Amino acid sequence: MHCTACILLTESELMDAEGVSRAKPSLTTHTVEVCGDFGDRTKEDICRKLSQRLEKHGYSLSVEKLQQEKNWSEFSIALPIAIGFAVLFVLLQKLGIVNLINTSTVSYGTAFMIGVIASLSTCMAVVGGLVLSMSATFAREGDKVRPQILFHTGRTVSFFILGGVIGALGSAFTLGATGTFVLGLLVGLVMLILGINLLDVFPWAKRFQPAMPKFLGKHALGVSELNHWLTPLLVGVATFFLPCGFTQAMQLYSLTTGSFLAGGLTMFSFALGTLPVLALIGFSSFSIKNSAKAGIFFKSAGLIVILFALFNITNSLVVIGVIPPVFNF
Amino acid sequence: MHIALVITTVLIGGAMLLTLNKPSAQNGPPAGGNVTIVGGQQIIDITAKGGYIPRTSTAKAGIPTILRFHTSGTFDCSSYIRIPSMGLSKNLPSTGTVDIPVDAKAGPLIGMCGMGMYPFQVNFQS
Repeated sequence: MHCTACILLTESELMDAEGVSRAKPSLTTHTVEVCGDFGDRTKEDICRKLSQRLEKHGYSLSVEKLQQEKNWSEFSIALPIAIGFAVLFVLLQKLGIVNLINTSTVSYGTAFMIGVIASLSTCMAVVGGLVLSMSATFAREGDKVRPQILFHTGRTVSFFILGGVIGALGSAFTLGATGTFVLGLLVGLVMLILGINLLDVFPWAKRFQPAMPKFLGKHALGVSELNHWLTPLLVGVATFFLPCGFTQAMQLYSLTTGSFLAGGLTMFSFALGTLPVLALIGFSSFSIKNSAKAGIFFKSAGLIVILFALFNITNSLVVIGVIPPVFNF
Repeated sequence: MHIALVITTVLIGGAMLLTLNKPSAQNGPPAGGNVTIVGGQQIIDITAKGGYIPRTSTAKAGIPTILRFHTSGTFDCSSYIRIPSMGLSKNLPSTGTVDIPVDAKAGPLIGMCGMGMYPFQVNFQS
């Protein structure tokens, strides 16, 4: 399928088929969702019957997604993009952007600037990787804007509230070494699976997907709808606890403020500072609307997410002492 | 999309420019080696900011030893010390000095920041 006309044609042709109550083709994913009453027939059987109707137009249906030659060739562009991004990431760390901060007092303006730098630092591997994997996964389902707005709402609001609580209580919520390790490893593994699925070349990986928050589960519309609301919101809230040196340092500073408002505003300013870069990473998936380049975008995003995931998993194992330090930025 | 590219370029370019013109942390360890022995106690000075300097130190084994971490406007990962073999996790203040007593048994002592990408090592020799 290449254009909107293909969508309309396949949709109307399938809707006319016996037993079909709803057919929804997608250009971005090259799939069609078919709902209807088919009695006891198997998926494969239904698929064959429906495919016959489309053959005269030059289309065919299959239950598993077809792996075309074209998909692999997309890597010739996606791979250099991913490598270029990785090089830029390492270069930014090697330049020592973290040394930009030369202050011991933290105003809200400084907190904002620390946020900007944090979003360009190795924290990008954790939070940025999460944003990219999430927005690309949702975008593939045609849901682009809402998950990102919800994510950033969850993030900024929770940073204000939790920062305020830290300031008021005068003690931080630290997870401890084991807690940080488990969370870091979990985030790394989730990103790895999402990244592999974004590549769209290993159908076997799909089966791991529903084990996480049902990103792809559309069996019950209600659950899926709730999932599209709750997942980004909760992931946004969870970023407060993710292993990121800057976030931890800012939390420590917030607890010294001794007031809800000052602690909350410090963490809020920090979150706002991280927003521009995080938003750009997430909004990159806007550019792919109905574009033939969608495959390239998803493959680049998948590769970058996989690199970040491996980086995070390696670092988690280093911190717990399983393997000696690997990276040195 | 073009706006996005411009903003990215400005942010990253700006960060690079500022970085190139600024010297790194000044609040370093005393000149002439970072390992000193004062009153029978061995002190290993390490600066924590955007990594650990020096990354590798050589010290004597078997005498009372402390690691002295210096921070100056440190908000990055290096403000969170982790030494897995000692089960140690410690936050450093963004500016200040923190002493951590360590067991100076012969061999390497490996530590890193809370996220793992900034390592440091002390080789204790008997």
